Amino acid sequence: MGARRTTPIRALAGAAAALALVAGLAGCEGANGAPVMASPWQPDFASVVDEAPVADASAIPAGSLMAKIRSRGSLNVGGTDAAALFSLKDPVSGKLTGFDAGLAQMLAQYITGKPTENLVTVTADTREALLQNGTVDTVFATYTITPARAQKVAFAGPYYASGDAILVAASNTSIKAVADLGGKTVCTESSSTAANDIKQYAPTAKVILFQTNAECEQAVEQKRADAYVLDQALLLGDQYRDKNVKVVGTPFTTEPYGIGVPLGSPEMKTFVNGWLKLIESDGEWAKLWQATIGTALTGQPPAPPVIGSAQGS
Amino acid sequence: MSEESRLLFDVPGPRARRRTWIATVCSLVLLAGALALMVRQFALHSELSASQWSVFAQWPILRFLLTGIEQTLLVTGVAAAIAFPLGAVVALARLSRGRWARWPARLYSELFRAVPLLLLLYVFLFGLPRAGVTFPVFWQLVLPVSLSNAAVVAEIFRAGVLAQDRGQAEAAYSLGMTYGQAMRWVVVPQAVRKLVPALVSQLVRLLKDSTLGYVVSYLELLHKAQVLGEYYHNVLPTYLVAAACYVLVNGLLSRTAGWLEHRQSRPRG
Amino acid sequence: MPRELTATLGGLGHGLLLTLAMTALAFMGAVLLGVLLAVCRISPVPPLRALGTAYVTVFRNVPLLVLLVLFVFGLPDVGLLFSLFLTVTLTMALYWAAFVCEVLRAGIRTVPLGQAEAARALGLTAGQSIRYVILPQALRSMVQPLANVFIGLALSTSLAAAVGVAELTGQAEFATLKYDDPLTGFAATTVVYLLMTLSIGLLAGRIERRVAIRR
Repeated sequence: MGARRTTPIRALAGAAAALALVAGLAGCEGANGAPVMASPWQPDFASVVDEAPVADASAIPAGSLMAKIRSRGSLNVGGTDAAALFSLKDPVSGKLTGFDAGLAQMLAQYITGKPTENLVTVTADTREALLQNGTVDTVFATYTITPARAQKVAFAGPYYASGDAILVAASNTSIKAVADLGGKTVCTESSSTAANDIKQYAPTAKVILFQTNAECEQAVEQKRADAYVLDQALLLGDQYRDKNVKVVGTPFTTEPYGIGVPLGSPEMKTFVNGWLKLIESDGEWAKLWQATIGTALTGQPPAPPVIGSAQGS
Repeated sequence: MSEESRLLFDVPGPRARRRTWIATVCSLVLLAGALALMVRQFALHSELSASQWSVFAQWPILRFLLTGIEQTLLVTGVAAAIAFPLGAVVALARLSRGRWARWPARLYSELFRAVPLLLLLYVFLFGLPRAGVTFPVFWQLVLPVSLSNAAVVAEIFRAGVLAQDRGQAEAAYSLGMTYGQAMRWVVVPQAVRKLVPALVSQLVRLLKDSTLGYVVSYLELLHKAQVLGEYYHNVLPTYLVAAACYVLVNGLLSRTAGWLEHRQSRPRG
Repeated sequence: MPRELTATLGGLGHGLLLTLAMTALAFMGAVLLGVLLAVCRISPVPPLRALGTAYVTVFRNVPLLVLLVLFVFGLPDVGLLFSLFLTVTLTMALYWAAFVCEVLRAGIRTVPLGQAEAARALGLTAGQSIRYVILPQALRSMVQPLANVFIGLALSTSLAAAVGVAELTGQAEFATLKYDDPLTGFAATTVVYLLMTLSIGLLAGRIERRVAIRR
């Protein structure tokens, strides 16, 4: 009975202390170790997007998809709101930040002059369908270019190259590379293609699918799963904010990310490729990388992949 | 004493009352012990730590969740507005005497009661777009929920009509009413009055079905909780808060159902 | 390709087995716990009644999906790590027990009060009247609602896919990721669910007819 009486009081005191803490930190840091996208020595996400170039009117021929977007005044983007570092929605401000979100906003700015993106949340299952039926103009969603997908949609880019890596509990010393996954329980996000990669590289592993990145990470922390396989950049984001997990080994697949555009609008693909070349050469791409993925990684931004280099792009 | 207790037990005498009293004390001690154990488990694993919960003290976060409740209620409301009339129509068709109305209605309610809602959502998400039919996200959630619930409502409705005393319909026929008139003026009004509580319970199920919004990425309460949990990395507290919200909203609905039931049983005693 | 196909079919078969096992185990658990809860709610002991009422209120009003996530990710956090299958089955049993409890109570209520009174007037003790008069009548009216709970439970096992159990729907999801063809997999699973629920419905109808009192 004693325990019952004291605990609420302790919890209350804790809550009060936390409130004070939150109030004190509110100005400079998200509560609870939420990702802090902007630090003083790194370019600020909002300003990178604001400085993005705007296309000449001559670059947008009448009747093209770009002209339609321009007259509409906003870009319809298929993406997600729950992928740290790539496209994550701040529940408080409602703003999307991350590498994919930043590129989408920059493309919107390039076409319409304003960085307004209309986000339509998509999953791995719905992306092609939404592009094909015209619900969205483009898809920015860590979208791996594959020849099979290129049958249904066109890909601009690749704009970023990543690969599957392995996340394990910090105390785990038995898993160091993909070869160690045999017979282990491995989880991944249900909307990603990593499930197939696991089956290919570690056929004896037991695969579990969870809905979100946070759930997968929780499963590893709770030892429900031995390892979590997903794109390295996303896993690094997890390691960055949680000290109980770590990323091991080097990526064992290559995932060239492309920008999905409708197959029926070839002018859009050429246009987006031209825009990518522009922001890659003028340093905007690197700045955006630093403001987003760079917050979880150390070192200089990598060289962007060669446009058109992936099979299917 | 509740109705079923009156059915099962006698009015307690002194000995029975003493036994009840002893049982009360024993169960209280046991329950308190279980509760203390639970709190201890929670505290041991630092689930009560303030940092896990402090986000919910911020107004913008609460507003974020409140808009989720609003969306959930919107989906529920619209789906109910479709499912209930549709269910009534299907039930009447199933009860009608024409074979051409009866069989399609039967097929409808058997099929849609037998398919998991999740699969139905997938059909709207992948199947129909292939056939060139697409809906906005809101309707991708609302239509499958409505279709599936209409089948259940139809069954509730049909059972209610069938449970009516046959004499009611027979009396109506003997007064010279046709089948349609008897249904319209005698059977259905009585059945509906009795069915109100069951229909409100169905509303609760509808509301719970709206959680499948995560499949089509519709931002209802559960999906919002997911986004929050992802952003602040506190899956458990977020889901507990969401669960509390559901208990609150659905509890109010169930309370309404109970109240209606009570009001209805009163005149008959 | 044929080898891959058999592997996929094998996966679907395995998923079906999981679905069936989960359904059967969860239903048994739900009935056991549901009876216990109904006894609590009917008993004359106030704390037990309150416990029963609170339990039913909470578990009937929280969506199953929320409960699943809470149990799968919550229990390990308080030091209880069970296998995924066990956790999900347990959650299903806990959730549906609330519905079973309500079905039992409603079934008892369908017996007219006069039956109990008549039984007592004939000199049966309380235990005898429950055993020979009330329960036999109440059980008959519970067949169909219990079958509905069973069907609901069978269908709701598809939600287990959302928390990582590779049952039927989860296997269909795997197949979809692999072949990039959602329709075939989902059509096949729909047929399987349809067969399951229809056979449960038929069975329930048969039982109901068999136990019906001909008047």
